[in-house]
Amino acid sequence: MANPKTNSNVYDAIIVGSGAGGGMAAYVLTQAGANCLMLEAGGWFDTGTQSKWGAWNYDAPHRGTAPPDTLFNAYMGAVGGWQVSGEPYTNAPGTDFKWFRSRMLGGRTNSWGRISLRFGPYDFKPYSRDGKGFDWPISYDDLAPYYDRTEELIGVFGSIEHIENLPDGKFLPPPKPRCYELVVQKACEKLGIPCVPSRKAILTRSHNNRSHCHYVAQCGRSCPMGSNFSSPTVLLPPALATKRLEIRTNAMAREVLVGPDGLAAGVSYLDKKTRKEVQVRGKVVVLAASACETARLLLNSRSSQHPDGLGNSNGIVGRFLTDTVGTHVNGFFPVLADLPAHNCDGVGGMHLYMPWWNYGKQLRHELPFSRGYHIEFGGDRRMPAAGTFKGTEHFLEGGYGADFKSSARKLYGASVGFSCRGEMIPNEHSYCEIDKNVVDEWGIPVLKFHWKWSDDEILMAKHSQETFREIIETAGGEVTESAGPEENWGISRGGEIIHEVGAARMGSDRNTSVLNPYCQAWDCKNLFVTDGAPLVSNADKNVTLTIMALAWRTSEHIADQVKKHNI
Amino acid sequence: MSVNRSGKREGTIKRRDLLKALSVVPAALIPFGTAVAAEQQTSGSAAAAQAATAYQRKVFNGHEWETIKVLSDLIIPADERSSGASQAGVPAFIDDWLNFKGGKLKAEILGGLTWLDLECNREFGHDFAGCTLSLQKKMLDRIAYPDKAAPSDLNYVAFFSDLRDLVASGFFSSETGVKDLPYLGNRPANEWPGCPANVLAAIETNLKKHGVGLSIAPPGEPAKG
Repeated sequence: MANPKTNSNVYDAIIVGSGAGGGMAAYVLTQAGANCLMLEAGGWFDTGTQSKWGAWNYDAPHRGTAPPDTLFNAYMGAVGGWQVSGEPYTNAPGTDFKWFRSRMLGGRTNSWGRISLRFGPYDFKPYSRDGKGFDWPISYDDLAPYYDRTEELIGVFGSIEHIENLPDGKFLPPPKPRCYELVVQKACEKLGIPCVPSRKAILTRSHNNRSHCHYVAQCGRSCPMGSNFSSPTVLLPPALATKRLEIRTNAMAREVLVGPDGLAAGVSYLDKKTRKEVQVRGKVVVLAASACETARLLLNSRSSQHPDGLGNSNGIVGRFLTDTVGTHVNGFFPVLADLPAHNCDGVGGMHLYMPWWNYGKQLRHELPFSRGYHIEFGGDRRMPAAGTFKGTEHFLEGGYGADFKSSARKLYGASVGFSCRGEMIPNEHSYCEIDKNVVDEWGIPVLKFHWKWSDDEILMAKHSQETFREIIETAGGEVTESAGPEENWGISRGGEIIHEVGAARMGSDRNTSVLNPYCQAWDCKNLFVTDGAPLVSNADKNVTLTIMALAWRTSEHIADQVKKHNI
Repeated sequence: MSVNRSGKREGTIKRRDLLKALSVVPAALIPFGTAVAAEQQTSGSAAAAQAATAYQRKVFNGHEWETIKVLSDLIIPADERSSGASQAGVPAFIDDWLNFKGGKLKAEILGGLTWLDLECNREFGHDFAGCTLSLQKKMLDRIAYPDKAAPSDLNYVAFFSDLRDLVASGFFSSETGVKDLPYLGNRPANEWPGCPANVLAAIETNLKKHGVGLSIAPPGEPAKG
């Protein structure tokens, strides 16, 4: 039996990470004939048997409240959270970056919101438009065919709307609006804010042997029917079926190994079960460990040929990290109180949303911030949980007893919350680096984060707070929770929206980027990145769809270059 | 859809099996918007009842537990639609919640219970739980209405507001409460029909009643953005 450390097997490609980008790389590369090894830091996850789909909150501890440092609900399909036992990270003084990791097969694609919005033409050339931030080395037209293919593969619902900078896609029909969504839509109409069907990787028709949705709004738990997108549901099965994919779980990648020629030769990882190092050899290495983990791997991959970390000769790895701008307002709507009982489940998340509508104003410099945001909203006629009836005395002036009980019933479903999801301009003060004083339990140096919002982002949060108030009041409602200037308008903490990207950006100039326009490392031609790290900017569109489209394009290029014997 | 290591889609849940496992009547037979008989839902009630009797207190002592039971039922009593809060498992919920959260909330609730007994003994010569119903209500009336409370009672108004929230949350998120509201979700269905006509009409009535100046489209007409 071969010593695993010196196993002579050389894979065509080693892929680090099994999420959106890793899964897509495996899907494309195995179809192109490559023998691939995929390394996943977490354990195996089988949504068919392990999803908590259908469970009631009252059958879970604390009515399903998420334990500390995790998210949303105890049934969430995420193994991990803001803190992962044994795998710390640090923050520079004055920074409170939140880093969400999901250590499981498929990573965060199991629990994500499935919101699938294409970046638009403006989003690839923001610097050319307003002189801030950076342009991508590619345009929307370069990625459009891959958006098409990705949507057709995974199944996305939506509607054709012809909205500025919001390209329409290859859509399944969208679900009809919920009752409270119709009220919000009308208020938006009155205010000139577009409110259109959302676009989500959830099936409203059966698609590619996967069942259509059954409308219990539990996408975040992962779906045993395969009705929403996750990497293990959509990308890994066909890749495995080619017999050219081997997946190793509980494999914590430590560094990319480099040969005497300075090219990537393989990956060193820790087998979490034995705690021993294993080295695997590959002709090509694809990093898709998620943006910051990929940056961490590059920075920790030091050799004589790459003394500052692999791909980091210009010091750009870890830099220009971005996350989505978020803020939140809650409102109480008397018109939604005391309604006849009805089911508001539907798909997980909003059936309608509001895309950015102020490009014109910004072109005329009528707003004090340069980028856009979209609006998501949700009502609370949901599966009751521990916080469902908090703050009732605000509406009922107190009381107790039979009157209180019957009045409280009437409040159910009368609250709606609004969130913005906005574009952050990359800046010099937001980045990650290796913390030279701390290692995790696998002996791997950890990341240290630095973070700063600019006025652009803070004033965007202000605008969204004011807009939400307007929408709520136009619908006859009352704001019950909001944020003011003393809290920077409730702007989220860095990382909190869990769309962190950048940290190994692509570009057309090797002096100011880590990767070329094909997400190929300038310094190491057989090293590629297919997660969120290459993204030059973080538009007001959730990033997963773009990560996958870009990963498809990159993976095709890898196959093409291998065929031409260029790598 | 589950994936085994060879790529075979194994254990793929057939829709029929899933619905059978959930003891849910297939959607074709459920008219949307109707409150389906509670018995048709998968009920954890047998297990829940057993769990309730087996609950091990983590925070409250025996006397506090009894006081919480009395308070829960005063805040949410039984009515024609459902039982009172204690029968729905609210005391166990609160005890567990205070253990889970700890901190200021736990101190406030324990402190509030202590004060309630202190004040009732001073005024009426008995612990709260030992007072008559009318004296219990007299005490609660002092702290249940933030706008009317005496300034010296404000700390205890805060206690009672938080207690009321806990009872309401604990009740309406219990199996009893879910059926009481009723929450009509967690029922797999083949189609999503949108907003039922009767709810649309009720909203329209509310919009007029509150003079909001909006009108929502009738069913069948897709609302344009």
